[in-house]
Amino acid sequence: MSVEEPEMAMAVEQIAIQVRPRVDPTPDLDAVGQTVPSMDAAIDVQHLNAYYGAKQAVRDVTFTARQRAVTAIIGPSGSGKSTVLRSLNRMLEVVPSARIEGQILFHGIDIYGREIDPAAVRRTIGMVFQQPNPFPTMSIYDNVVAAARFNGLVKGRAQSDELVERSLRQAALWDEVKDSLAKSGASLSGGQQQRLCIARALAVNPEAILMDEPCSALDPIATLQIEQLARDLAQSYAILIVTHNMQQAARVSDDTVFMSVDEQRAGYVVEIGPTSRIFTNPLNKTTEDYITGRFG
Amino acid sequence: MTAETAPAPVDSPGAIIRQRRISLGDPLLGWGVRILSWIALGAIVLMLIDTALNSGKLLEHESIWDFLTGTVWQPASVIYGALPFVYGTLVTSILALLLAVPLAMGAALLVNEYLPPRVASPLAYGIELLAAVPSVVYGFWGILVLVPFLRPIQQAIAASPLGAIPTFSGPVAGPSYLAAGVILAIMILPIVTSVARDAMNATPRLQREGALALGATHWETIRHVVLPFARGGIFAGVILGLSRAIGETIAVLFVIGNQPQINASIFAPGYSLPSVIASEFAEANQPFHPEALIALGVVLFVISFAVNLAARRVVGRFEARAGGADVR
Amino acid sequence: MFAEQVLRSTGRGRRGRERLVMILCLLAGAISILPLGLVLFYLLVEGLKAWSPAFLVSPPGGGITTTGGGAANAIVGTLMMTGLGLLIATPTGLAVALYTAEYREGRLAIIVRTAVDLVAGIPSIVIGLFVYSVVVLTMHHFSGLAGAIALSLIMLPIIARTSEEMFKIVPRRMREGTMALAMPRWRAITSVYIPTVASGIMTGIVLAVSRAVGETAPLLFTALGSSFVVTDLNRPMSALPLYMFQNALNIGFPAARERAWAAALTLVAIVLVFNVLGRWLASRTGTRLK
Repeated sequence: MSVEEPEMAMAVEQIAIQVRPRVDPTPDLDAVGQTVPSMDAAIDVQHLNAYYGAKQAVRDVTFTARQRAVTAIIGPSGSGKSTVLRSLNRMLEVVPSARIEGQILFHGIDIYGREIDPAAVRRTIGMVFQQPNPFPTMSIYDNVVAAARFNGLVKGRAQSDELVERSLRQAALWDEVKDSLAKSGASLSGGQQQRLCIARALAVNPEAILMDEPCSALDPIATLQIEQLARDLAQSYAILIVTHNMQQAARVSDDTVFMSVDEQRAGYVVEIGPTSRIFTNPLNKTTEDYITGRFG
Repeated sequence: MTAETAPAPVDSPGAIIRQRRISLGDPLLGWGVRILSWIALGAIVLMLIDTALNSGKLLEHESIWDFLTGTVWQPASVIYGALPFVYGTLVTSILALLLAVPLAMGAALLVNEYLPPRVASPLAYGIELLAAVPSVVYGFWGILVLVPFLRPIQQAIAASPLGAIPTFSGPVAGPSYLAAGVILAIMILPIVTSVARDAMNATPRLQREGALALGATHWETIRHVVLPFARGGIFAGVILGLSRAIGETIAVLFVIGNQPQINASIFAPGYSLPSVIASEFAEANQPFHPEALIALGVVLFVISFAVNLAARRVVGRFEARAGGADVR
Repeated sequence: MFAEQVLRSTGRGRRGRERLVMILCLLAGAISILPLGLVLFYLLVEGLKAWSPAFLVSPPGGGITTTGGGAANAIVGTLMMTGLGLLIATPTGLAVALYTAEYREGRLAIIVRTAVDLVAGIPSIVIGLFVYSVVVLTMHHFSGLAGAIALSLIMLPIIARTSEEMFKIVPRRMREGTMALAMPRWRAITSVYIPTVASGIMTGIVLAVSRAVGETAPLLFTALGSSFVVTDLNRPMSALPLYMFQNALNIGFPAARERAWAAALTLVAIVLVFNVLGRWLASRTGTRLK
C-alpha cells in the first residue's frame, strides 16, 4: 500500500516549525516533503534504499528528524526500522553484504560522502543498543570516559573527572553511582547499565543519539526512567528511537515515522507526522489499523 | 559548570563529521601484527628448507633410494640405511594403537555412559593428567619398572607353544618393541580417550531417546546409535594418537633396546626414527653421520606430516557429516 | 505382537550382554588409570627418598658418576630458557591470533595459520633439528638461546590457537559498542577485547609452559646441557628434563639413579601444578582445550 502524495506533503509540512530557506540547498528536490526546508532538521533521509546482498530490506525511505526533538520509528517486526536506524550512523556497512542507495544528510552534510570518515560520523551520531553493553572489564568511571579519552576529547585527570560527572548527570545516573565509580560496569542493574551506556555515548559529545529499542531488555520501572531520560535529552539533542511499543512511542516522541513491510518483505514508510496527530487522527488507513491493533 | 542536560558547546552543527583524524595507533598495531606473523611464517619456512638442505648433503654419499631401503645402519662403516628405524617406528606405533584404542574406547564409554558423574569426572581428569607427564619420566619409569615386569612375561610366551610364531619368538632381552608399544600406548591413551568421549557426547539426544523408546538396552543403544554416529570422531582420535606415537622420542629410547635391526619378533629389541636421532646425534663424528641423522629427521617429518594431513581430512569429513547425521 | 516380542526378548541374553560390556569397560577404565597411579607411586616413593630442598639449589658435584649434587644448573636453565621462550612465543602467538581472527586478510592469513598448525604436529625432536640447522650451525656452538627458540616453537601453536579461539568469541555487542563510540580499532583491541579474554589467553600460556617445561628432545641439540650453573644464554645450559635424561641414562650408577628420581619428582610436580592451574583457568573461562 503506498502513501497518497498530497497527504504525505501535508504531513511533512506539519513537521517543520519554521519555514526558512536551507543554508545548503540539497540537490534533487523532487521527493515529496523535501520542499520544506527547516533549520531544525538534524537528520535528513532522502530516498534511502538498503539491501543485504540481493535482498532489499527497505525501499524509498524519506523523512526528517528534527534537532531538539524525539523522533520515533515504529512498525511491525521486519519493517526495517533497525536497518534504517543503523544507516544513520554508518553502522550498517559493517555487515559485509549490506549496501545503501539514497542520501542521508546531517545538517546538510552527506554522511556517506567520499571524504567523510565513518568514525567521525559515529562520534557525532551516537547509538544505544537493545541490550546494554557496558565494557565488562572496565569500571563505571572508565566506561564513561574511555572512548572520550581515545578520541582526544579530554586530557588529564581533572578533565576526565568533570566529563564523567557531567555525562552521568545527563544520563540521570550520577546520584546512584557517584560513590562507587570504581565498580565494574557490569555490576549494575539492567536499567542502570543502559543509562551507563547512554552516559558514555554522551561523553563523546554527539549531536544526535540513536536508540535501538533501548528498553526491550528492561523492567517497566527502568523503562520509564529511560523514556524520561530521552525526553530530557531532547532538550539539547536530536533523539531517534526505534520501538515496537506503540504506547512508548506515544509517550516519548514528538514526531513519528511509521514503517511497514510490503509483499516483497521490504520495509517502507507508510506515514510520517507529529506524534499527536499520528496517534489520534492518522491520515493513512494502514497506520490506523496498526494503531488500533488490527495488525502488527 | 555541571549543567543537567546541556552538552559541551560545539562550533557549528555537524562540524565534527568533517574532521579527519589521523590515528597512529591503528596502522602501528596493524602492521606490527602483520610483520610478526610474517616473521613467524618466514622462520618456519626457513627451518624447513635449511634442514632439507643440510640433510641433502647425504646425497653425496648415497642415493635417496639406497637410503630409504637400506636395512643396515653402521656408522662405523659409513653405511646408512633408514629401513630399520622406519620399521621400528611402524611396529611400535601399531602396537601402541592395538593396545590403546580398545582401552580408550572402554574408558570413554565407562566415563560417558556407565559411571555416575561424581566418579566419572575424577577418572576422566586423571586420564587426562596422564598426558601431562613428561616423556622422560615415562621412559625412566619404563626401564626401571615396566621392562623388568614385562621380561618374565615375554620369556614365558616365547618359551610356550606360541613362541613358534615368529612374532612371539625369543630370545628375550627385556627392552623390546613390545615394551615401547606399551609405553606409547600409555602415552597416547589420554588423547584417544578424550577425542572419543567428545565424539560420543555429540550424539543427538533425539537419536538416543528414539532407540531407548523402542526398547533397546543401554548397550544396544550405544552399539547401534552412539558408536556409528561417533565413528568419524573416534577415527580422528586414533589418527591423533598415531601421530603422537610416531613422534615420541625419549620414552621409546629408554625401552626399545636401541638395536638398528629388523626383527619379526615383538619381543626383540629395535630402534625408532626419533630415538636413534636423539641417542646418536651427540657423538656423530663419522663422515656423513650427522647428515644421515638429519635425513632421518626429514623422513620422520614427512611421515608425521602425512599422518597429520590425513587426520585433518578425516576430521573435516567428520565435522561435515555431523551436520547431516540426523538424516540417518 | 511387536510389543510382546520386545518385552519377551529382554531376556537373560540381552541383559547378560549388557553386564558383560559394563564389566569390560570397568576393566578398561581401571587399566587406563593404573599407569598414572603406578608412576606417581614410584615417583613419590623413590623421589622423596632422594629429594631434599638442597636438591634445588646446589649445583651438581662433579660428573655423572659422583655422588650427591643437586640440580641448580637445571633449575636455572629451565627458568631462563622457558622464560625467554615465553617472551618470544607470547607476542608472536597473539599476533598470529589477531592476524587470523581480527585482521583476516585472505590467503596470507590462512597460510600463516596453517604453518603454525603445522608446527603443532611436528615431533619435538624434529623441531630440535630445525633449530639446530638454523641457529646452532650458524652460531657454530650450542647455546641456551637456541634452546629457548626451540621451546618457543613448542609453545607458539598452543598460545596462538587458544588466543585465536578467544578472539573469535568476542560478542558482537561488544564490537558494536566500540564501533558506535568511534573507538579506533587498535584501542578496541587493546583496551576492550584483550582484557575481556585475558584469562582465556592466560590459559593458553599456562598450558604452553606446562608442555615446554617437560620437553627434552628439542633441547638435546640446541642447549645441549651443562654441569655448570650457566646464566649466559650464549653458552650451552642445562634444563630439568635434560638433567634428568642425562642422569637416567646412567642407571648403572646408583647416585645418578637417585638424582634422576629427584629430578623426576621435581619435574612432575612443576608440570602438574601448571597443568592443573591451566585446566582450572580453562573451566572458568569456558575455553576448549583441543
